[in-house]
Amino acid sequence: MKAERKKKYISLYNVSKRECKNLVSRPIYLFCMVIAPLFCTFFFTTLMGSGLPTNLPIGAVDQDQTSVSRNLLRNLDAFQQIAITERFTDVAAARRSMQRGDIYGFFYIPHQTAKKAIAQKRPTISFYTNSSYLIAGSLLYRDMRTMSELTNGALARETLRAKGLTDDQIQSLLQPIVIDSHPINNPWLNYSVYLCNTLIPGVLMLLIFQITVYSIGVELKEKTSREWLRQGNNSMFISLWGKLLPHTIIFFIIGSFIDVYLYCYLKFPCESGLGPMIFATLFMILAAQSTGVVMIGTLPTLRLGLSFASLWGVVSFSISGFTYPVMAMDSWLQGIANLFPLRHYFLIYVDQALNGYPMIYSWNSYLALLIFIFLPFAVINRLKKAMLYYTYQP
Amino acid sequence: MTKKGKMKFSDIILQGMQDTLYIWKREFRLTVRDQGVLIFFILVPLLYPIIYALIYNNEVVRDVPVAVVDNSHSFKSREFLRHVDGTPDVKIISYSSNMEEARGLMRNKDAYGIIYIPSSFSKDIARMEQTHVSIFCDMSGLLYYKAILSACTEVSLDMNNDIKIERAGNTTDRQDEITRYPIKYQYIPMFNPQNGFASFLIPAVLILILQQTLLLGIGLSAGTARERNQFKDLVPINKHYNGTLRIVMGKGLSYFMVYAIVSVYLLGVVPRIFSLNQIGLLQTLIMFIVPYLAACIFFAMTCSIFVRNRELCFLIFVFTSIPLLFISGISWPGAAIPPFWKAISYIFPSTFGINGFVRINNMGATLDEVRHESQVLWIQAGVYFITTCLVYRWQILNSRLHVLRKHREMKNKRLLDSREAVE
Repeated sequence: MKAERKKKYISLYNVSKRECKNLVSRPIYLFCMVIAPLFCTFFFTTLMGSGLPTNLPIGAVDQDQTSVSRNLLRNLDAFQQIAITERFTDVAAARRSMQRGDIYGFFYIPHQTAKKAIAQKRPTISFYTNSSYLIAGSLLYRDMRTMSELTNGALARETLRAKGLTDDQIQSLLQPIVIDSHPINNPWLNYSVYLCNTLIPGVLMLLIFQITVYSIGVELKEKTSREWLRQGNNSMFISLWGKLLPHTIIFFIIGSFIDVYLYCYLKFPCESGLGPMIFATLFMILAAQSTGVVMIGTLPTLRLGLSFASLWGVVSFSISGFTYPVMAMDSWLQGIANLFPLRHYFLIYVDQALNGYPMIYSWNSYLALLIFIFLPFAVINRLKKAMLYYTYQP
Repeated sequence: MTKKGKMKFSDIILQGMQDTLYIWKREFRLTVRDQGVLIFFILVPLLYPIIYALIYNNEVVRDVPVAVVDNSHSFKSREFLRHVDGTPDVKIISYSSNMEEARGLMRNKDAYGIIYIPSSFSKDIARMEQTHVSIFCDMSGLLYYKAILSACTEVSLDMNNDIKIERAGNTTDRQDEITRYPIKYQYIPMFNPQNGFASFLIPAVLILILQQTLLLGIGLSAGTARERNQFKDLVPINKHYNGTLRIVMGKGLSYFMVYAIVSVYLLGVVPRIFSLNQIGLLQTLIMFIVPYLAACIFFAMTCSIFVRNRELCFLIFVFTSIPLLFISGISWPGAAIPPFWKAISYIFPSTFGINGFVRINNMGATLDEVRHESQVLWIQAGVYFITTCLVYRWQILNSRLHVLRKHREMKNKRLLDSREAVE
């Protein structure tokens, strides 16, 4: 009995050793397990390093050319996210500039605006944004609207002063109700915090799917699957464990490094502390590896397995709901979203790092990841059969 | 003499054309027969856009659930909340008695925000003092924040105006209007009036799919060619395959033909199925897509040199889709991309393809307005054509070298054998 168990451990060790040799001998493993995830980490965090885009170029169509209009545009230019880079004489020229992609929006002040305002004839000013660029468009909208409100306030203030009110009274008169917004734990509305925390694990997960499928599928393709099984004491379970354990260790090191980089070096909000996030990363890696095994188990061909892994990995980004909320999707898609491990990792991240809730609130996401981890048992027999009898067709 | 030389030249041209056609036909046949390549060239372009369009089909978030803590319990506060609930963006799911209760709802993800109205709310208004309504938002998605903030701001501005009018003590409606807004303002979101997610992202994804599936498909077929070749070379030994230009042109032509059809589906049919924005002129689009496809095809053929095995192209190319989408400047504004990454983005046809296509398709730009993009694409097509020729030239020389070496080995062996036989 004891000897049997010892034999199992020895074969586990042998398979792992064999896999380590594989990992070292093929440069693609180095590329996908180390270089690609680290590159993406570096890429996304530096691309959005500023957190919010600053000085987005906009245009100004100032047909009024008075102190009122110039003042308005000067104040608008002073907003951190706006830079007035171009001036036009008419709207058509501004629109063309927008179509050329030189500006993301423009502010239009028609003829005699100041004159009409003073004469109480209520002129209209307009602002246009290019909403095909959604982020730029909504940021510009916010600032341009604020500016329009402020201009109105300034003009109304003059009228009210003339009626003999004090500045305090005027302030409460102009804006009796003020909205104080508290974006919880991301007060800067930092896009890097908002996106990188899920984008980078998403890339890691896509690569884990692919590498898991590839490392198993390539045994089929190169007709080494029987030898692999033999080393694993003819047990699919031991063979899989031995093969994937070195992967788990490497991915876990990379994943922990990413966590440390995001939460300790870049100081992204991490209310729960680093520990729970590293724990979540481990769960995510195990779940992704198991999903990879299920993929190659259901489609035991290298090419089809990899297609499956790529499809699942890429769709994860959209369906996990960190850019476009799951609640806004059709209800059948909301159900399908649960089949993507990234969705559950995202929910755990929101609970733990972003909001700092106790771990108990994420129990269902952890449970879901745990189910993913146990899924390979469903395909283990099918996979073994494939390893023994399948022949590769290009 | 000169006449003879000329004849020879025209012969070369003729033979070149014939070989190009031969290679074109052969590659086309290989493409159609290879199940793996067909997955990338047909299945992925067919299905992916549909998956994306289904995910983003609803365009915007509606009815974000929020909890309310109303400590004022007054007519005014109820009016405020009724209006907020009436906006399409927000839905009040609970009136909690205190903040702790409301936070509990957020922890259980029943609510994504809290609106807190202080007890002094209506008193402040009656006393002509400023009052502050606080909103707390879950920041897991910016769209929740945007929905809650814009709903509350909208309502507060409306109520502010009514309060202003009450206090100003005007005598006529006209005076009311003027007090409300001395200057009217209007917001015009152009080219995507509902600020929808699908209209913003799908056009970029469609263009990216063209480049990525070409990379994958051409990479796969290069991997296959190497695996089938006895020397693991890219270029087969065949009397038609003995000129760089004809190989590159022949292959390129066959891919171009397939992708002309794929583009019609992706850029013409898909936006129509999901009724996305589509205001570009057909001829502008064609004039723009031709250099894009050419740049992508030659770019993919150059990159395919790195693919030594059939399946490696998955591992090398798939994950790059995500960074490529971001570097194109469609979601993260191009003006905010650091110069280093901006420079890197010039390598990829997708950067210019996406920007140009979005402008033509969503904003109705003419060829003149996307001149910069289309010029860069033509330059890229030219540069990648040259690099493709260079790497293929290198591959041809390699395969010739391998054949020669093998030939020499055989010869030596035969010599040795015959010598042994003599001895």
